[in-house]
Amino acid sequence: MLCITAMEFRLAFAAAFLFCVSNAHAHEAIFGWTYTTDLTPKGHGEFEQWVTARWEKEHGNYSVVDFREEFEYGVADNFQLALYLNHHYVYANDDVPAEDPAHPGNRLPGTYQTGGEDVHAGYSPVTPFDSYHFESVSLEAIYRLLSPYKDPIGLALYFEPSIGDQERELEWKVILQKNWLEDRLVWALNINYELEFEKAGGGGYERDGMFEWFTGVSYRFIRNWSAGLEFWNHHEFADATVHEHSAYFLGPTIHYGGERWWATLGFLHQLPIGQAFSHDNKEFAVHDGYIFGDEHEKYYVRLRVGFNF
Amino acid sequence: MKSEFAFIALPISALIAPSAFAVQYLTVDQAQRAIFPRKSFTAAPVNLTSVQRKAIERASGVRVLRDEQQVWRVSGGGWFIVDEVVGKHEFITYAVGLNADGSVKQIEVMDYRETYGGEIRNEKWRAQFVGKTSKSPLKLDSDIKNISGATLSCRHVTDGVKRLLAFYEVALKR
Repeated sequence: MLCITAMEFRLAFAAAFLFCVSNAHAHEAIFGWTYTTDLTPKGHGEFEQWVTARWEKEHGNYSVVDFREEFEYGVADNFQLALYLNHHYVYANDDVPAEDPAHPGNRLPGTYQTGGEDVHAGYSPVTPFDSYHFESVSLEAIYRLLSPYKDPIGLALYFEPSIGDQERELEWKVILQKNWLEDRLVWALNINYELEFEKAGGGGYERDGMFEWFTGVSYRFIRNWSAGLEFWNHHEFADATVHEHSAYFLGPTIHYGGERWWATLGFLHQLPIGQAFSHDNKEFAVHDGYIFGDEHEKYYVRLRVGFNF
Repeated sequence: MKSEFAFIALPISALIAPSAFAVQYLTVDQAQRAIFPRKSFTAAPVNLTSVQRKAIERASGVRVLRDEQQVWRVSGGGWFIVDEVVGKHEFITYAVGLNADGSVKQIEVMDYRETYGGEIRNEKWRAQFVGKTSKSPLKLDSDIKNISGATLSCRHVTDGVKRLLAFYEVALKR
């Protein structure tokens, strides 16, 4: 993977951050994961920093911190474009079930090794792994068809292509939003479909598909502060056709919105009601109702901070 | 991993920096002078009964959040009302002057603390309300223009004026 020194990133990030703070107003996402139909107004921009920590697999140690810097611009009143930089830090040790060499496709009971989605291919499975990677660049486009402030329900369409040295992705979302109680109570639903093309041995790409939906409800309980609950259901499809698993997540979110900046902190806990469908996932991914494997962890915490200019 | 937490430290440091600041553009006295120059005012606060509240909600289609309404009788005829509506983050305080016949003479935004939509203080946007009565549609994108990025504020101020015109019919009109 493309590795960039921490110092280079720190300098670029600090420069972008300081530029944005000096021009700050505010505009916000009230959920950690679920999108609403609110967009940056025409001619305005936003800088947003995302930090997501996710950790705990079936065994050993596994933790990832995902970083995302987003630069967002309102092209028209109902159309917004954004550019994302995606990078992460991963630490893994003894975290995935080992395969039984005598029975390929089956686990070797009680034996674990270092591995997982973000561990480099070919890395020694018997030693701890940690690394920082620049992952990909994403372009996001959102077009709003209906506004929840003027129409019975808000509706927006989302498209995001991503390109990285190991992976390419295409993501589509349908975003719905309904408000009540003078717009202080907000419900949002996102229906997502994503295609991932991951580099495989031999120079080809391995295709995966994801169908998922997020929903959240949030209430502004006092001036500037909202609190809510989010739910996420993820379905994974190998080669975009073979249903591998379904995983469920639930957790609280809290949001502060001021005139110059906003911040949202969300927490998701995987629910022990996941289902594995493919042989591979039944063997290696599901454990006590949780889905781990290459896709999921037990706990997720996300902080998003936004500054408008 | 330690060095990478420097990335988190910067945005978090912003969280403890000074944040939103309240801007009061007009005091009650200044709003009164702006709408009714050279007039005198007599406080005439109204405490709505549940029957009145329901009548206002039925007539305007807008929920009444508070039974107490700050009202002043204007010398020579007319009413001056201070009201609040929900903004994106905080309440928006505004004043409405009504002519003796219950039509809108002028509105003034007294407090506005939102990121976008400061244009609702502009004379051109506020002038759209002049002459409106309880019979007027008062609907965003119909007889009241929206402001990009401040749809929530525009709609709530518009709904607020609609509610106050119904309030006039129910509680002030003789």
